[in-house]
Amino acid sequence: MKPRTSAPTSSTEQARSARTARISLGRALQPESRSYFLLLGTTLFLLLFGLVMVLSSSSVSSYAGSQGSFGVFWRQAIFAVIGVPLMLIISQLPVRVWRRWAWLPLVAGIVLQLLVLFTPLGIEVGGNRNWIGIGGFNAQPSELIKVGLVAWLGVILSKKEPHLHRWGHVLIPALPVAGLGIFVVMLGGDLGTVMIMTALVFGALFFAGIKFRLLVIPVLIGIALTLVIALTSSNRLSRIENFLGIGSGDQTGLSYQNQHADWAMAAGGVFGVGLGNSKAKWLWLPAADNDFIFAIIGEELGLVGAIVVLALFVVLAVSFLRIVRSSTDLFSRVVTGSVMVWLIGQAFVNIAVVLQVVPVLGVPLPLISSGGSALVTTLVAIGIVLSISRHSEATADGLSQKKVR
Amino acid sequence: MTIAVLIIVAVVSVFCVRLVDIQIVQADSLNAISLASRSDSTVTLGTRGDIVDANGVVLATSILRYAIEADPSAVAEFERPGPDGTGEVKVSAEQAIGELASVMGLEPSVVTAIVTADPTSRYALISKSVDVTTYNAIRALDIPWLYYKADQSRTYPDGSVAGNLVGFVGADGSALAGTELTQNACLAGSDGSEVTETGEDGVAIPGSTVTLKKAVDGGKVQLTINADLQYFAQEALAQRVTEVGAESGTVVVTEAKTGKILTAAEYPTVDPNNVDATDPAFRGAKVFSDPFEPGSTFKSITAASLIDAGAATPSSQVMAPYEYKSGSAVIHDSFFHPDMPWTLTGVIEQSSNTGISMLSNNMSVDQRWDYMNKFHLGKPTEVGFVGEDSGDILPGGVSGPTQLDDQTIYNTTFGQGLTVTAVQMASAYQAIANNGVRMPVQLFEGCKHEDGTVTDAPPTSTGEQVISPQAAQDTVHMMESVATTGYAADALKIPGYRVSAKTGTAEMSNGSGAYGGAYLTSMAGMAPSDDPQYVVSVTIRKPVTITSGLAAAPVFQKVLSQALKTYRVQPSTVPAPDLPTTY
Repeated sequence: MKPRTSAPTSSTEQARSARTARISLGRALQPESRSYFLLLGTTLFLLLFGLVMVLSSSSVSSYAGSQGSFGVFWRQAIFAVIGVPLMLIISQLPVRVWRRWAWLPLVAGIVLQLLVLFTPLGIEVGGNRNWIGIGGFNAQPSELIKVGLVAWLGVILSKKEPHLHRWGHVLIPALPVAGLGIFVVMLGGDLGTVMIMTALVFGALFFAGIKFRLLVIPVLIGIALTLVIALTSSNRLSRIENFLGIGSGDQTGLSYQNQHADWAMAAGGVFGVGLGNSKAKWLWLPAADNDFIFAIIGEELGLVGAIVVLALFVVLAVSFLRIVRSSTDLFSRVVTGSVMVWLIGQAFVNIAVVLQVVPVLGVPLPLISSGGSALVTTLVAIGIVLSISRHSEATADGLSQKKVR
Repeated sequence: MTIAVLIIVAVVSVFCVRLVDIQIVQADSLNAISLASRSDSTVTLGTRGDIVDANGVVLATSILRYAIEADPSAVAEFERPGPDGTGEVKVSAEQAIGELASVMGLEPSVVTAIVTADPTSRYALISKSVDVTTYNAIRALDIPWLYYKADQSRTYPDGSVAGNLVGFVGADGSALAGTELTQNACLAGSDGSEVTETGEDGVAIPGSTVTLKKAVDGGKVQLTINADLQYFAQEALAQRVTEVGAESGTVVVTEAKTGKILTAAEYPTVDPNNVDATDPAFRGAKVFSDPFEPGSTFKSITAASLIDAGAATPSSQVMAPYEYKSGSAVIHDSFFHPDMPWTLTGVIEQSSNTGISMLSNNMSVDQRWDYMNKFHLGKPTEVGFVGEDSGDILPGGVSGPTQLDDQTIYNTTFGQGLTVTAVQMASAYQAIANNGVRMPVQLFEGCKHEDGTVTDAPPTSTGEQVISPQAAQDTVHMMESVATTGYAADALKIPGYRVSAKTGTAEMSNGSGAYGGAYLTSMAGMAPSDDPQYVVSVTIRKPVTITSGLAAAPVFQKVLSQALKTYRVQPSTVPAPDLPTTY
């Protein structure tokens, strides 16, 4: 599908249209850019690697849960089968689709999140009300809010581009809307997701080129709010106490999970115990196939495997940064930058939790952990960035061709 | 951009440090803790070895048994696959108990009482030992609150056959008697241990089993015993002991050329499967542990010594009186007779105490005791059987035979005043039967290990020349007259074979030096006399209806016939030498 533009109606539109037409011709003659394939390749590799690890880490718990050894794996595979074509289709959409429809996922996500909070459709997992269950199908509306925020912030901030040095324009309407999205998730009690979303919003502002001094006050407010929320929940408080080593620390407490994660990785050593040979997955390590899947990777594939995963996320970050750098418009920078903060940030938080660098925050490892809705929204977000990369690379075509020469 | 790169580099560095810390630096200590807390150690059984006879007939073996244990706190309704293999069916606690009881052959109320005695307990023993069939049936019930522990149990397929020799083990499997105890070092297996890592739900993780110590099965002990001959001898002995109203008896059969014990029967004999049914006095091997005054069967040994020393020949002449006095000693024969002109052969045939006493004057006392020592009397045999007695050829406190009083010096020539075990007696006769070469007594062929190697096999020996071949042959020929013309000759005949034998009727000491009118009748000998192959020695204690050697003679004759038949010995071809018994 080739993005074709409609007849120009104004001079600016006309100019853009002409440019677009030129791009189309160019693309017809040459393959997608290097950043495009770097991002796509890394994503698909992480996805396939994730499927393998989900199968390995979930086979026992899935069987014990009467779903058969492949139960969790097939669900994940189905979501991958849905998500990957969706990502590829989105990557081919013209950027203007997002300019027009960015509000839709945001509004839909917030509405669904309100349903989670105030109707019996909401499902509480581990003290967090973050899931919606419709007809045996569970999803996290907060994931949809993330996608919505990414796109919508890109649109709003690019519209405000000439005024971004002014505090009021930054504030309105970006922060209230983003704040609403974060607030409804916060009501569900999922601090990990709230932190990721907050980071995503600041990432958007950062890549929009907003001055640091304008960000200081919101950052402080954010930290203060985080602390308040953290300390008002016994569940979270115990996690933090445990992290600081002042909790009960017994085997049944939360340290149990960290302890088994440590044991798992220690068992892995340098080269790992081999794919499928994890012992922690035999119901010892809770959430072995999602939040703590990195421990299973460390056990089965060893230090080498763990570092390869880290390296893959670094490559992912590099490809995002390349796209940011080569993009000429604010929308592309904001969207790509905030997706990067979201995915790489979430990956780092997840790994930091497993490695006990930070207290336990229930965030999954993007593209690897099991979890259907998160996988699909992650792929959608990457799809948006892919579509941006096609346009921005094309925009900077002359530049890159010069470099090649 | 730069900030983003710096953050990523910093975070990844921290992660790498943590990964190296956990996966390399702390790995060993963490692994030790996790292994200890996630694993389950189990004992693997090292099976106790078998005891078999010379032909491999199993006399003692180990079998697998299971202890059935319950977790009363977990007794509740559960689900198990339906009978057609699909779906799940609910099984109530009562139904499960009913099924379990019916499989085990118990009343449901008994099982109910066990599992409901303390409903909060995590352990209750339902059965200490069930066989494999029952165990499999119980396992098929799929009852989740049952636990099983494999154990081994000892069984003796042939029951009391050679029970005295085989011995038995205690309820805890520890060796208590007989070969079980004597050869415990060979038989005992050593249990191994395995560590299996389990899932949080207790399921063993495939491939996680690590053997810390390998279970080693015990070795197999082979006896020289022939179980069939042993059985025959036990039956013959039991029948005769009962007939003559005796207290007990023994039969020992040895192979003349090798010194191997082929049979060591006793009556009463312990059944190792049911030790409690046997009087504690008869749970051991009396053939090794119970010395007795042999009586007249000892005269052959005295005669053989005299001939070997050149102090007598089969035709040496003695005018034997009924009563013989020498120094303080007074010797009587067992029956009244006028002075008789007997040769040494005649003395043996008639079993004359005075005759053998007078002829022994031709030999020094020390020399006679030297022969006893050479016949290996007064010391335990080479078998080293548990509880084996050495017998006494010198009373306690006496430093040498010359210090003995006159009466004892003469008494010992006809087997009173000294003690021997049944096996020692059989061994002395073996030397006489084997051209004077005494072979070490052998009961064990050795310990055969799992890998086929044999250890503790008796050293090969050419034996020890105790007396000259001529002296031995002369003694065998003299003893032949007992079986041809002696008082028990009719009971001793075996068609086709020449038989040599010596009767014995010993007065039994009452334990305090005096003789109390009880007798030990005996019969010892060998066949065929022209080339002795098998030696049989029979004792019967305290017979009531017959108190002479005749009490033992039928057993001797039956067992010796059976031995000759079993081993297909060629019948005698050379006629017996007609040694004169009188002059």
